[in-house]
Amino acid sequence: MNMRALRIGMRRGWAEHTHLLRNRRELAGTLIGTVGFFALMLIWMGDRPVKGTDVSNATFMTAGFLAFTVFSNGLMTLPLSLVTDREEGALLRLRAIPGGIPAYLTGRAVTVLCQIALQSALLVATAVLVGGVAPPRDWLTLAWVLVLGTVAVVPLGAAIGCLLPSSKSGAGMVALPMMLLLIPSGVMFPVTAMPEAVQWVAQSFPLYWQGLGLRAALLPDSMLVAEIAGSWRLPYVAAVLGAWTVAGMLLAPGLIRRMTRRESGSRLAERQLAAQTA
Amino acid sequence: MSTAVSVRGLRMRYGAADVLRGVDLEIRRGEIFTLLGPNGAGKTTTIEILEGFRKRSAGEVSVLGTDPEKGGDDWRARLGIVLQNWRDHTRWGVRELVVHLSRFYDAPRDPDELVAAVGLTEQAGQQVGRLSGGQRRRLDVALGIIGRPELLFLDEPTTGFDPQARHEFHLLLTRLAADDGMTVVLTTHDLAEAEKLAHRTAILVGGRIAVCGTPGELAREVQAQSSVRWIEDGRERVLSTPDPSRAAWELHNRFDGPVPGLEIRRPSLEESYLELIGRAA
Ligand SMILES: Nc1ncnc2c1ncn2[C@@H]1O[C@H](COP(=O)(O)OP(=O)(O)OP(=O)(O)O)[C@@H](O)[C@H]1O
Ligand SMILES: [Mg+2]
Repeated sequence: MNMRALRIGMRRGWAEHTHLLRNRRELAGTLIGTVGFFALMLIWMGDRPVKGTDVSNATFMTAGFLAFTVFSNGLMTLPLSLVTDREEGALLRLRAIPGGIPAYLTGRAVTVLCQIALQSALLVATAVLVGGVAPPRDWLTLAWVLVLGTVAVVPLGAAIGCLLPSSKSGAGMVALPMMLLLIPSGVMFPVTAMPEAVQWVAQSFPLYWQGLGLRAALLPDSMLVAEIAGSWRLPYVAAVLGAWTVAGMLLAPGLIRRMTRRESGSRLAERQLAAQTA
Repeated sequence: MSTAVSVRGLRMRYGAADVLRGVDLEIRRGEIFTLLGPNGAGKTTTIEILEGFRKRSAGEVSVLGTDPEKGGDDWRARLGIVLQNWRDHTRWGVRELVVHLSRFYDAPRDPDELVAAVGLTEQAGQQVGRLSGGQRRRLDVALGIIGRPELLFLDEPTTGFDPQARHEFHLLLTRLAADDGMTVVLTTHDLAEAEKLAHRTAILVGGRIAVCGTPGELAREVQAQSSVRWIEDGRERVLSTPDPSRAAWELHNRFDGPVPGLEIRRPSLEESYLELIGRAA
């Protein structure tokens, strides 16, 4: 990838991020859907302690919502924007431009990063202001887990985007598994409350580790009684998220190449015609 | 080198369907070239092969001296492409998008001049998604020529244009070809457009180029009939003939002087086209 494409891609990503901020519907979705919902949950059940611990639900949920933000942006929003860009022809337009595709991918990654950073900041602020949660006790762990988690989901999200057939069916295809994954991942309530088989399934997906790492940064050690093995297992967090990053990096380039190579004006026309008659 | 595009024996099959069965084409530098043909003739297929978006089944293709299947970024930078189906970047501002895409090129056109050249100065601050169909297409053309391409491909660029927009679009293309020496290759279903705009036109039927040349050459090739009209014994007479010059000469001889109301009309491209398509069917 040449430097110029990288530079243009970063500007592109920032521009797309500001477009999202300026878009009223998008902004309302973020504020109400994510932050508003979180605030309601805090008020509703934030005061109770997590069963068997002296940690408040509010603190526990903060870690969970942060983990989910990273995942929904990386594995739902990103792949769906890829599909939309394919359907509207943005991808093809950039394919016709020298250096267009690397710049496009850089741009998408930067937009996701900006969105995650913004939403995380809003969530932490809401937790502190509404939920009375103590500010993160370990900023360093918070930072590296968030960054590594984001780096892990971006290539994976791009790969998923390449495989989705259309934006219409795609939304359901990514949302459903995400929701299914959300329940056993220990993000909403402690994973130790689940049957052991479910715990094993949860631990094979990155969402569990992302959540664990964030809890390590936000929760006191008294929470450890409700964690598997009674430990934060931070080296495992790094190893598993790193492994998913590598898997995504291996998977994404080939799929992206295949997808862009297949883009052409007639495919675009075909899809648009199909969408009109459907 | 005076050849922009050279195609020899181009074949394309989709599964069992033979869409192109040996297309030969030679497009010169600086000319406006139109590709005509009925729906499904393979115009888009041909153009996409030239753009390097599609792998051909057989044949030799050279675009600006390079095989499109092997063209890299440097080659891409010399091409401009305008498709019919783009509805992307809806949230970007018009000028913002032009500026953004200009950054990819070493010596791009000035974004403001370009926006003015396609008549979108008033919409410069507007969101792309709010443009009308014709405005959107003009923006696409602007984005197609932003990198000062040597060769511009347009697939049915004027579908959905109002007459005024179409006229301005023709002026723009003609100016670009004349001033910048840009080669323009476009497909269209509008025969009047091809006749007005193109230096040369090729008609694609049955997987081959049936005829190729200037509108006059096409008419001659097809031997479409010219009509010769005159007034004789107070009545208007009409004669259809492939050789209007000979008919006029015979009339002059018969009248032994000027022929009253003599009028010769060459066949329009449309007549040649319909004649040819009818024959191929
Ligand atoms: N990807 C594809 N797979 C199979 N068949 C295809 C594909 N693309 C095009 N075709 C077929 O090839 C033929 C030529 O299509 P093409 O789009 O090149 O025609 P066209 O001359 O551009 O037509 P139009 O005037 O309608 O735009 C059509 O019969 C079409 O159905
Ligand atoms: Mg076509």
